[in-house]
Amino acid sequence: MKISPDACIACLECIDFCPMNCIVEKGDTVAIDQDECVECGVCLRAGVCPAGAIYMPDESMQYPRAIRAQFSDPGVQHPSTNQGGRGTEEMKTNDVTGRIRRGEFGMALEFGRPGTGARMTDIEAILKVLVTMDVELERDNAVFALLEEPLTGRIQAEFRNEKVLSAILEFKIPEARLEAVVGRLLPVLADLDTVVSWGLVSRFAEDGTLPVRSRLAAMGVPARPNAKINMGLGRPIVEP
Amino acid sequence: MSHSLHRHGTARQLEKDYTFYARTSRYVNREGCGPKLRRILRILLEEERAVNFGSSHAGKSYKAGLNPDDYAATLDKAYGVAACFSDRDAVRSILGKLKEADTGISIVVSGLIDEIVKMAGELDLKPHTAFLSLGVHGKRALLPEDQILQITTMCGHGMVSATLTRTVIDKVKAGKMTPEAGAHLLAQPCPCGIFNTERCSTILEICRTSVLCT
Repeated sequence: MKISPDACIACLECIDFCPMNCIVEKGDTVAIDQDECVECGVCLRAGVCPAGAIYMPDESMQYPRAIRAQFSDPGVQHPSTNQGGRGTEEMKTNDVTGRIRRGEFGMALEFGRPGTGARMTDIEAILKVLVTMDVELERDNAVFALLEEPLTGRIQAEFRNEKVLSAILEFKIPEARLEAVVGRLLPVLADLDTVVSWGLVSRFAEDGTLPVRSRLAAMGVPARPNAKINMGLGRPIVEP
Repeated sequence: MSHSLHRHGTARQLEKDYTFYARTSRYVNREGCGPKLRRILRILLEEERAVNFGSSHAGKSYKAGLNPDDYAATLDKAYGVAACFSDRDAVRSILGKLKEADTGISIVVSGLIDEIVKMAGELDLKPHTAFLSLGVHGKRALLPEDQILQITTMCGHGMVSATLTRTVIDKVKAGKMTPEAGAHLLAQPCPCGIFNTERCSTILEICRTSVLCT
């Protein structure tokens, strides 16, 4: 996003709306820090500029910068997954896709959430560890499309310094490996320069319980009291 | 709505905050989903207790002026329909109606785990999969104050800025804005309609009178 210096009247109305806090006063006008802007479009959609000075320039949609809007503006689709938002169905449709099966846990690391944003290099720091851990990275995921192949844990060079509002890395593990994977990831996550919201996908047991909650608590990483729950109403259902 | 599991707050603070998402799969049931999603939307709205609704494909939420009929007309190739509620009884009632409707579209509810599981038991539903939040890791020093996180995390895509939230809190504390008006303003950037303005008003009201909220 950019602000036309000729049109801007420096009313400052747009500044508060930026989730990345990257709209700044610059002399007699206001400008958007292009390195920090994630192209989420909030400033434009807020409709608070009385002079119509905020606009999306053509370069915002040119690669490699184009991935900023794909990850940050929920109205823009990811070309790799044809999904808006952060580009993944994850467990929302698990009752009809069977993406996460019994005997498996899904993991979702959302980099930059809440509210800090993340560079692709932040994600790369974790990826380099994950590829040594024999986990199954989810291919139907917008981050996966940016990886170098064969998998080394590196993001394709042209995208490495791009910043996004948040991006979700997904992978699966056998249930038996939970303690080993969590134990290995905790110190690596602690060293990051951004924040990560960590999610774990589990099937309900036949008796309607979630035994993984007690395992997580025993590791000192308790699940929060709220969660997202697929109610099993999709049809045809996979693994009822 | 990949993020509603991470809505910030204690169990007490979250007890009046539920989100619904009827979600199609591009691999299974998106083709021809319009009539089913419209039926689900009717069920969600006929309860008349929806706080907000919308979706990213519609570009704005009910609180930002989305008309339900205009929205219904966009649902033929939509990802799904999202809404949020404060009332547990409304959530239970809607789940019962969705079970009866048997549309085959996946239904996801976010909220307190134990309450949702209890409701499922009451309705003889068998929850399929849970997405648990293990909290925020990494450089937590970057995070804003607790009450700001409670508000900003109600927009799943992170569209509500901490700076705007702080400004609204200051205005509410100074008596220049009501909690309701503040909540309405903060809901504007969130297109998916899961920003719960009733919960936000409650948080702002607490901020208005608390010396701990700065």
